[in-house]
Amino acid sequence: MADSQPTSASEMLNGAQSQAKSPQEIAKEHNLLPKFLPNLDRHLVFPLLNFQEEETPEDEDTTDIIQLKYGLLKQTNMSDFVGDLYAQLNNLSERPQEYAQKREEVLAQRQKHEEETEKIQALLSDADVVGNLRADKVSNMNFLKETHGVTPEMVDQLYAYGQFQYTCGDYTSAAELLYQFRILSTDNDKVSAATWGKLASDILTTNWESAMEEVAKIKESIETRLFNNPLAQLQHRTWLLHWSLFPFFNYDAARDTLTEMFFSPAFINTIQTSCPWILRYLAAAVITNRNRPGGKNSYVLGNYQRQLKDLVRIVRQEQYEYTDPVTGFVKALYVDFDFEEAQKRLSEADEILRSDFFLVAASDSFLDAARHLISESYCKIHQRIDIKDLSLRLGLSAEEGEKWIVNLIRDTRVDAKIDYKAGTVLMNHPPSSVYQQVIERTKGGFFRTQVLSAAVAK
Amino acid sequence: MSRFFQGSDSESSSDEEEFALNAEEEEASSSEESSEEEEDGDDDSSSEEEGGKTGASRFLREASDEESESDEDKVTVVKSAKDKRFDELEGIVRLIENGEKIGDWNAINDQYDKMNRQVPTLMRDLDGKPPKMYIKTIAGLETTVMEAFEKQKVTPKKMNPIAQKGLNALRQKIRKNNRDYTTELEAYRKDPGEYMKEEVVEETAPAPKKSKKSLLANEDSLDANDDGFTMVGAGGKVMVYTPESILKHLRSIVESRGRKNTDRLEQIRVMEKLLDVAVTEYQRIRVLLVLIATRFDLTSGTGSQMTQEQWKLAQQEINRLLVILEENHDIIVVEAAEEWEDDDKLPTITKGELFKIPGSVVSFVERLDDELTRVLQHVDPHTAEYVERLQDEGALYTNLVRSMLYAERLQEDTRLDRSKDSTNRVVMRRLEHVYFKPATVISKVEDDTWKDLPGQLDSKVTPRAEHSDVASLVQKLAGYLFANSDGIIRARAMLCQIYYLALHDNYFRARDMMLMSHLQETIGSFDVSTQILYNRTLTQVGLCAFRAGLVYECQTALQDICGSQRQKELLAQGLQMQRYSQITPEQERLERQRQLPFHMHINLEFLECVYLTCSMLLEIPTLAQAGSSPDLKKRVISKSYRRMLEYHERQIFTGPPENTRDHVMQASKALAAGEWKKAAEFITSIKIWDLLPKSDEIKKMLESQIQEEGLRTYLFTYAPYYDTLGVETLAGMFDLPEVKVTALVSKMIHHEELAAALDQVNSAIIFRKGVELSRLQSLALTLSDKASGLIESNERVLEQRTQGTANAFERQGNTRGRGGRGRGRGESRGGFRGRGGGGGSDRGQFTGGALGNAIRAQ
Repeated sequence: MADSQPTSASEMLNGAQSQAKSPQEIAKEHNLLPKFLPNLDRHLVFPLLNFQEEETPEDEDTTDIIQLKYGLLKQTNMSDFVGDLYAQLNNLSERPQEYAQKREEVLAQRQKHEEETEKIQALLSDADVVGNLRADKVSNMNFLKETHGVTPEMVDQLYAYGQFQYTCGDYTSAAELLYQFRILSTDNDKVSAATWGKLASDILTTNWESAMEEVAKIKESIETRLFNNPLAQLQHRTWLLHWSLFPFFNYDAARDTLTEMFFSPAFINTIQTSCPWILRYLAAAVITNRNRPGGKNSYVLGNYQRQLKDLVRIVRQEQYEYTDPVTGFVKALYVDFDFEEAQKRLSEADEILRSDFFLVAASDSFLDAARHLISESYCKIHQRIDIKDLSLRLGLSAEEGEKWIVNLIRDTRVDAKIDYKAGTVLMNHPPSSVYQQVIERTKGGFFRTQVLSAAVAK
Repeated sequence: MSRFFQGSDSESSSDEEEFALNAEEEEASSSEESSEEEEDGDDDSSSEEEGGKTGASRFLREASDEESESDEDKVTVVKSAKDKRFDELEGIVRLIENGEKIGDWNAINDQYDKMNRQVPTLMRDLDGKPPKMYIKTIAGLETTVMEAFEKQKVTPKKMNPIAQKGLNALRQKIRKNNRDYTTELEAYRKDPGEYMKEEVVEETAPAPKKSKKSLLANEDSLDANDDGFTMVGAGGKVMVYTPESILKHLRSIVESRGRKNTDRLEQIRVMEKLLDVAVTEYQRIRVLLVLIATRFDLTSGTGSQMTQEQWKLAQQEINRLLVILEENHDIIVVEAAEEWEDDDKLPTITKGELFKIPGSVVSFVERLDDELTRVLQHVDPHTAEYVERLQDEGALYTNLVRSMLYAERLQEDTRLDRSKDSTNRVVMRRLEHVYFKPATVISKVEDDTWKDLPGQLDSKVTPRAEHSDVASLVQKLAGYLFANSDGIIRARAMLCQIYYLALHDNYFRARDMMLMSHLQETIGSFDVSTQILYNRTLTQVGLCAFRAGLVYECQTALQDICGSQRQKELLAQGLQMQRYSQITPEQERLERQRQLPFHMHINLEFLECVYLTCSMLLEIPTLAQAGSSPDLKKRVISKSYRRMLEYHERQIFTGPPENTRDHVMQASKALAAGEWKKAAEFITSIKIWDLLPKSDEIKKMLESQIQEEGLRTYLFTYAPYYDTLGVETLAGMFDLPEVKVTALVSKMIHHEELAAALDQVNSAIIFRKGVELSRLQSLALTLSDKASGLIESNERVLEQRTQGTANAFERQGNTRGRGGRGRGRGESRGGFRGRGGGGGSDRGQFTGGALGNAIRAQ
C-alpha cells in the first residue's frame, strides 16, 4: 500500500515541509494550522502564518510564529527576508553575513538561468513564432526545433528557472515561465508539476481566474493520469482540496464551482478518508451560500437544500472523527434538534470563524445565515413561539429579535402573525396539500423525460 | 460331491497319520504342535485331492511343511501369527481346488484375490521367495483356467453368467499375476518334482543351521560397531544403523511412502533410532524432515485425527528442527532445492556458503496447525480433553512464531531469491491464531512465547521489544500482509484486523476498514473459508455496533447473517439440521471439515438475542407508524422478526417467557402497547447479557433506547386520539427529561413523520387534524413516486451507458443520496477501488453477507 510515488513538484516542496512543522503546539484549540501544514506548499503557508501573527495580541510573544516562519522559508531563496527573520529571532541589528553571501549566490544563479532561457523566452514572446504554434505539442516542438534550434533541454531550463523564481518569491514571473514551459513540454510528470507550481503562483498573486483554470486542470489530470494509483489520487486530491480553499473563500465566482467539486463523490470520499477538517470549510460555505445574490431563484434554493442535506449526512457520519463548533452547530440543529446547543455552538463557531484565515471574511454572513437556519427550522416545528425566547436562541436582544422575526416573516413569506400583547408569534402551518405533493413530485418529469429522449436520440 | 466328502474324510484320517509321523520328527514345543498338525493336515488333504497331477506330492508336502518349520525356528517371536498365515493360505488353496471341481469360477476368483493379498507377507517371511505351495497353485490354476476357457469356446452357453464373469476376470488376473513369478513357474513346470525337491535338499540340514546363521550375523554386526544398534528387521534381515547408512535408510523409507502395507510406526521407530545415531547436523535435519512427514502421514485419512502423543512429538521435532536451523545458518531448508543424490557420502558444507536442503518448515507448521484444528473439531468441547488439547495451542503458537522468524531470516538473506510467499503464509497463520482473542489472552500467549524463544532471536515484523503492546500486534501483522501479499491472503488479513478491531470495540475504525476494503463486492468470488471469515467479521462488527449502542447499524450488519436462519452454516459453527436437505454425504463431509473449533465460536444465542432486540427497536415504531396504510406496511426491516412476531401473536395463551425469543417477543408486545417499563423489564431479564463484560452499561443503553422508541411508538399509535399533549406529561410517562422529549418530537415533526407542531408557550404538542389521506390520494402519491423513480433509473442507465459524459444528468444523479442514511451515494467514478483510495462513499451500510455460497458453490 505504501506506494506513494513522488510525482510532482508539490510533493518535492511538500516533502520538505514536514520539517517546517514546529514542535511548539499551537495552543489554540481547533486551530487547523498543524493539519494544514503538510498539505500546503511552504509559500502558501506563509500568508496563514502572517494572519496568525496579526491575530496575536500585541502583548503576546510572537517569537513562535517568527521561528515558524523562519523554519518555513529557510530553504527558499528569499535570502533577504530570511536574514531579517533570523536577525529578529536572535536580536541582531542586521542580517548576518551569510545571508548577504547567499543573496549573491542567488543573484548569480538567477543570472545564469536568465541567460540560459533567454533565447527561448525571446522566441516565445515573438508574435510570429507564437502565431505558428498549434495545439499539438509534438509538432510545435518539431517546428521550433527545425526553425529555431530549440532543444528539449532548453525547455527544461524554463522549468528550472520557473521553479527558481518561485522559490525567490517572484510569483508572477514564475507563473509566466511555467506557463511557457507547459506549452512546449511533452514530459507529463513535469507538466503536472508545473501545473501545481502555476496554481501556487496564481494563488499567491491572487490571480483567481487563472487559479481556477489550474484547479480544473489539476482535477482532470488527477482523474486521468493517476487512474491506476488510488493512493496517489487520494494524496493529490487532498492537496487540491487544501489549495483550493484559497480561491474558495476569496473569489466569489469560484464558490459554486468549488462547492460542487467538494461535493462530488470522489472529493467527498477524500474528505472523509484523509482530511475531515475540510468539513468546517464546506459547512461554512454551504451555510453562507444561502444569502448569496441569486439565491432566491428556485433552482439554486433547491440546490442549497440538497447541499445542506448532504452536509448533514456527512457531518453525522464523520462526527466520531472530527468535530468542531461549526460541524457541531450543524449536528445540533439537524441531527439532535437541540436549539440551545445549536445556539451555544453558533457563538463558538463565530469565534472560530473570526480567527480563521479563510473564513474571517465570511464570518458575518455565516452568523446571519446560521440564524436564518435556526429560526427556519424552529418555526417549522413550533406553532406558538415566545419572541423573547427566540431572540435568546438567536443571540439577540428582545427588540432585535422582534425585528428579526418581522424581517423573517417578510422575507421568507412564512404564514405567521405576532401577538403583541402576549409577546408571541403564531405560526400557521397549512398542511401540505396532497394535490400539491403530487404536483411537486411529477413536476420535473416531463422536462427530464425530454432531456432523456434527446440524449438517447443523440 | 461324493468326492468332496471323501476328501474331508480322508483329511481326518490322514491327520492322525501325519500326527504320528510328525511327532516322531519334531522336538518343537507342544504349544506349537497343534497348529502345526492342522497345517500338515490341510496340506495333506489338498495334495491328496490333487493326487493325480503331482506325482511326488507326498514328498512335496513334507517339504513345504519343513520349510514352514524352519521359518518358525528363525523368527520365533512371530511364530504363531506366521503359522496362521500359512494356515490361511492353505485353506484358500483348498477352497480353490474345491471350486475347480464344481466349476464355481466366481468363488475361485474371490479366493484367488484373497490369496494374492496374502502372498507379500508370506514372501517376507520366506526371504522374498514366494511360497512353493502358492506357485504350485497358480500354475495349476493357470492350466485349469486355460482348459476351461478353451472348452467354453467350443460349447457356448453352458456356463451361468456369474461363473462366466468370474472365469474371465480370473483369466485376466492370472495372466497378469503370473508374469511376476515367471522364473519360479518355469522351474516348477520344467519338473515339478525337481522344483520341490530342491527344498528337500535344503531341508536335509534344517532348522539349526539357519538359526545359527542369523545368530552369527548378529554377532558379526555387534562386533562391527560397538556403539551401533543392531536390530532384526523384517524378514530376519539385520538392521544396522550407522551414521553412514542413514541416508540409505531414509531413501528406502521415502520410497515406501504412500505404499500399502508399510508399517509407519515401525518406520518412525527406525527414524528415531537414526536420529540418535546421526552425527552431523545435516543428517539430523534430513532425518527430522522425513520423520515429521511420516508422523503426519500416520493420519492421512479424513476420519482420523492425530493422537496427542504423536502430535506432541511432531511439535517437539519441528521445534528441534528449528533450533538446529537457527544454530546453523549455513544450512537452510527451502522448497526449491536440489536433492542430494549420493547416499554413500555426505555433502560437504563449507562455512559461509548456503547449503540448501529440500523441504518446507512452514508447511510443517501449517500441517501441525491443521492437525490440531482437526482434533479440536472432533473433541467434545465440554470435556476436559478439549481443554487439554487446547493447551497445546501455546506450544503451537511458539512454533509458529519461531518458523516465522526463520522465514523472515531467509527472506532477508540476499543470497536467496525467495518469494515472499512462505513468510506471508506463516504470518497469516499467526494472525489467524491471534485475531479472535481478547487482548489479555494474546498478551499472555505472547509473553510465554517470547520467554520460550532464545534471546538472540528477534523479528523485524513484530520486534521482541514491543511484544507487550498487544494492540499493535494485530496491526503489525496485518500491515505486513497488506504490504507484501495480495489476493486472498490480503483480504483475509484485512478481515482479521477488522474482526480484532470490532472485538475490541473500535466500531468506527472497523466499519471504515470494512467499507474501504470493498470486500462486499468481491467476497462471492473468494473461497469458502474466506467467506466464512467474512461472515464472522461482519457479525462481529454488528455486535460491536450493538455494544456501542448503534442499533440501526447493528441491525443492518447482522441482517444478512441472522435473517437467513442459517447462522450455523454461515458461521461454520455446526451443521444445520435440515429436514429436507439435499446435501450429499460428500458435501456434508466437506462442511464438517470447515467447522471452526469451539473456542473460536461466536455465541449464537447471544447473536440471536442481539439481532432480535435490535429488530424490535426498529420494527415496533415502524409498525406503529405504518398503522393501517397499505404501502407503508410493505416496508419490512427484518423478515424473520416479523414472522416470529406474527407467530407469537397468533398464540392464544402465552405463558411467562422461557427463552430469549419469548422474552423479546413479549417485550415487543409491551413496547407496541406503549408500556416501556414492562418491555425494558423483559429485555433486561434476559440472562445472556450477563455474559458481556459491561452488562450493566448495555442494559442501561437498552433501557434508554426502549424509552425513546417507546415514546415514538406511543406518539405514532395514539396521535389520532389527541388534540394536544403536554410535553411534561409525556416526559413523565416515559421517564425522560423534557428537553429530550422536545428534541425527539421536533425530530419527528421535522422529518414529517408526525403531523403536529409544538406550542412553546404552553410546552405542548398540538396535533393537526385531517391529514390522513384517502386511499385514492395515497395511491396517487405512490404512483407519482414510482414515476419519478422510473425517470431516475432511466437516467442512471443512460449515464452508465454513456460513462457520465452526458453532463445533463449529473445534477439529478446527486439527488440519489437523499435520506440521512446515505445508501451509497453514487458510484465513485474515478476508479476508486483499492484500499488506499478507499472511498467511504457507501458509508453507513453493509451489504451482502457471503450467503451460503458455501454450500451451493460445491
